[in-house]
Amino acid sequence: MAGASQTDTQLVEGNTTQTDAVAAVAIGLSAVLFALAVAAMFERVDLTGTLAGVQTVTLLGGLLTALGVAVIAFGAGSRLGYVETEPDPSAGLIAGFGAAVPWVVVGGGVASQTLGLGTAGGAVGALVVGGVAFALTVLPREDLGSTLPLGSLLTLTGLVFLTGVIGPDWLWDLGWAQTASITAEFFIPVATLFSALYGGWASAKSYGGFGARGRHMGAYVLVYLNALSIVAFLFILVAYVVVQGVPGLLTGFELGLGTGPQTTVLGVSVTLPVSVPFVMNGVALLNDFQGVLPAIVGTVWLVIGAVVLAVPLGVGAAVFLTEYADRGRFTQVVEVATNGLWSTPSIVFGLFGFAFLIPRFGNGKSLLSGMITLGFMLLPLVVITSREAMLSVPDEYRDASAALGVSKWQTIRSVVLPAALPGVVTGVILGVGRIAGETAPILLTMAGGTFIPGSQTVDVLGSFQFTAAPPFVANPALLEATSALPYQLFALITAGVGLGSSVSDPNAFRWATALVLLVVVLSFYAIGIATRYYFRRRLKHT
Amino acid sequence: MAQVNTSRSDRLVDAVGNRVRRARGFVDDTDPAALAVIAVMTASILAALVGFLAVSDWTIVPFAVFLASAAVGWVRYQAETAYTIALMMTVSTILILGLIIVFIFRESIPVVQYESATVFGVTVPGLRMFLQPNWDAVSPPIRYSMVPMIHGTVMVTLIASAVAAPLGVSAALFLSEIAPTTVREVVKPGVEILAGIPSIVYGFIGFTVLSPWASDQFQTTGQGSYLFVGIVVGLMALPTVVSVAEDALSSVPESMKSGSLAMGTTDWQTMTSITLPAAFSGVSSAVLLGVGRAIGETMAATVMLRGVPRLTEPLVNVFYGQETLTSIIARNYGEADGLQMDALFVAGVILFITVLVISIGAQYIEWRMYEKLGGEV
Repeated sequence: MAGASQTDTQLVEGNTTQTDAVAAVAIGLSAVLFALAVAAMFERVDLTGTLAGVQTVTLLGGLLTALGVAVIAFGAGSRLGYVETEPDPSAGLIAGFGAAVPWVVVGGGVASQTLGLGTAGGAVGALVVGGVAFALTVLPREDLGSTLPLGSLLTLTGLVFLTGVIGPDWLWDLGWAQTASITAEFFIPVATLFSALYGGWASAKSYGGFGARGRHMGAYVLVYLNALSIVAFLFILVAYVVVQGVPGLLTGFELGLGTGPQTTVLGVSVTLPVSVPFVMNGVALLNDFQGVLPAIVGTVWLVIGAVVLAVPLGVGAAVFLTEYADRGRFTQVVEVATNGLWSTPSIVFGLFGFAFLIPRFGNGKSLLSGMITLGFMLLPLVVITSREAMLSVPDEYRDASAALGVSKWQTIRSVVLPAALPGVVTGVILGVGRIAGETAPILLTMAGGTFIPGSQTVDVLGSFQFTAAPPFVANPALLEATSALPYQLFALITAGVGLGSSVSDPNAFRWATALVLLVVVLSFYAIGIATRYYFRRRLKHT
Repeated sequence: MAQVNTSRSDRLVDAVGNRVRRARGFVDDTDPAALAVIAVMTASILAALVGFLAVSDWTIVPFAVFLASAAVGWVRYQAETAYTIALMMTVSTILILGLIIVFIFRESIPVVQYESATVFGVTVPGLRMFLQPNWDAVSPPIRYSMVPMIHGTVMVTLIASAVAAPLGVSAALFLSEIAPTTVREVVKPGVEILAGIPSIVYGFIGFTVLSPWASDQFQTTGQGSYLFVGIVVGLMALPTVVSVAEDALSSVPESMKSGSLAMGTTDWQTMTSITLPAAFSGVSSAVLLGVGRAIGETMAATVMLRGVPRLTEPLVNVFYGQETLTSIIARNYGEADGLQMDALFVAGVILFITVLVISIGAQYIEWRMYEKLGGEV
């Protein structure tokens, strides 16, 4: 789209290439400023130091001023007819509000603080300056309206930095009862960041030659930047946890025959060829390396329990809602109830489990209560996704099956359910990913101590017993408090410095726990998303 | 008025009559033996439910009867049994919501009575919780005010919405209207994965990285600020906004968009003047659901906040973070008992009602939109 419009411009208007280049440089400058601001915010760039031989703040100020002058020059050039553009009569109300917001902040700040007029004076100043900026944006022709207020904002910010009015030592004590100040370390990067965004927006509009096409360019720059930032944020987040967590995870890591612990696979005792103590050990006094195995096993059992409870319930409800029930009051109530359950805060599920389940299962926190609470949380997700999957099965399938003279239930069983299976499976896997990382509900229903010895790793299957007293079946493992990864991480955070006695490097231990949790949860997501692609591809091929 | 009333009661009678007729039809059409099995199943599951609610050790007996009768039914009369079981499962979703309501309300009653206040000679239970801002569970006078936590939740939610709403809607526009297929295939799972990162991991990063940094930047005493909890919670609510808003945007009929494009508008003009207005209610319900997520977010708030239930001074001081409705529950459930525990349940009730109202409101708005667009609900 952008490429097409560019060729278009060049064909119609003879010598806009140079001005195009100027606007493109301005966009590039905004990108550089944006990157510098982000780097400065995370203290990757030292504000007091120098960058490329110039004081950082001076450099930022200079770049901002240059960008502001370029933006204004472009607008003025277009207004005076030196640059051929296609501006609208007005930049529009949205652009007006967009330009007014930063000027309101500037006006308010200057009037109340620099001039010392107090809150009322600040409000008046904010209104006046914002109003002027709004009028200057909306009233003149678009080329001037969308460059002048923003360009002057950039120039003003740049000059404030250049002249040292706001330097690296600047500090604004807010004078509040709970003391807080706005420091230059915060203010300069943030001001630069927003100025760069506005500068990029204005120059992208100029690059598109204003008018509908200019606005298109301006908006696209921001939307693309936003999407890019979200993806970048995700990558940085995951990468950060991995980098911090790997050293802790690999303490005592050994590779080689006979190094790992012994396990029994299919009745044969094998020694694993790899040893990762962090995920294979519990915590014990005599261990060389401590680990989180009980929490991992706890999470696995928790997920299994929740799935066993929620998937049949949810799929059954979805079958009833899509196949049997007529649309009416009842289905509506069920829909409202499932959506209500879906949005109920996880901590409320925890409270509910605490009040409802704990008295009914041995009066103490237990694995079983945790399983059921999480199952209740998973249920609405299963209902919603299975319903969607069943609704997307074409009615022709059902009609074709019904035409063969089979009963409704047979149609459901042999046509609808198999066709809806991929959607249901994907939904369940993604839902499991979500509940596996939930801490709040198990906090109140299931979790025990911070460190669980390896000997206390739950063994659900091995501890079923039959008794003579009323419940007749008992399973002490299910009724005991145990740990799970998210809870373990929470306990490690809140335990603070007291950890030192049990683990040699508490911080590495915490990060490694976070990493293991992230890996467990994200692998559910990876499997879920991969399943969806697999089924989608198969559907396309057949 | 009377007319309306009669017609309403007529309709009710009609509806009941319909139901009865249908039930009779079902009874007539079904094999008596199958009916007997269904009756046994229903009676036994009801008995099991009653037993479970009454904390009886004998609950297992009716439940075993239910399992046995269901097994018999499955083998002999599969269709009827399947129908009955599916119906029971559907009812269970409503039942769970009902149980949640009953149990969290019931637990909160004592403290509501304790915190009664008299206004104009009328004693209103629970009112004192909202009249004064003092939470003190240790030294008398013992007071359980919800005001500081409501203030905290409002602050966090406002900041989170300011983060999640614009970024989320813009990302939804990108995914549904702008992105080329290949980019979409990368960004969309990315957003989903973002939703999957456990809140405690966000909280941990916030606690170890963001909080010390913020405390340094704003020169505050100690760590924990509503501003950064709000930003983190906003990022966590972002995926909800994106996916719901994207659904709404892509439900706008293609014909409307291409009609606009055929007039020679740019893509962006089509988006702002056709797609966004048409999907406006869907997009706003997405934002509402995001707000609901932000209100209910617990773990990040718990580990990043200070855990001292009091108001910030002044009220707009976002650089200090005290406590939210969610974090007070997660932080205090351990040592709380008696009235204090009940007070935590009050916090839960407030959360539950707020989020439920938001959820129902969002559904209503969405339903209106689909009705307007003439699509299927």
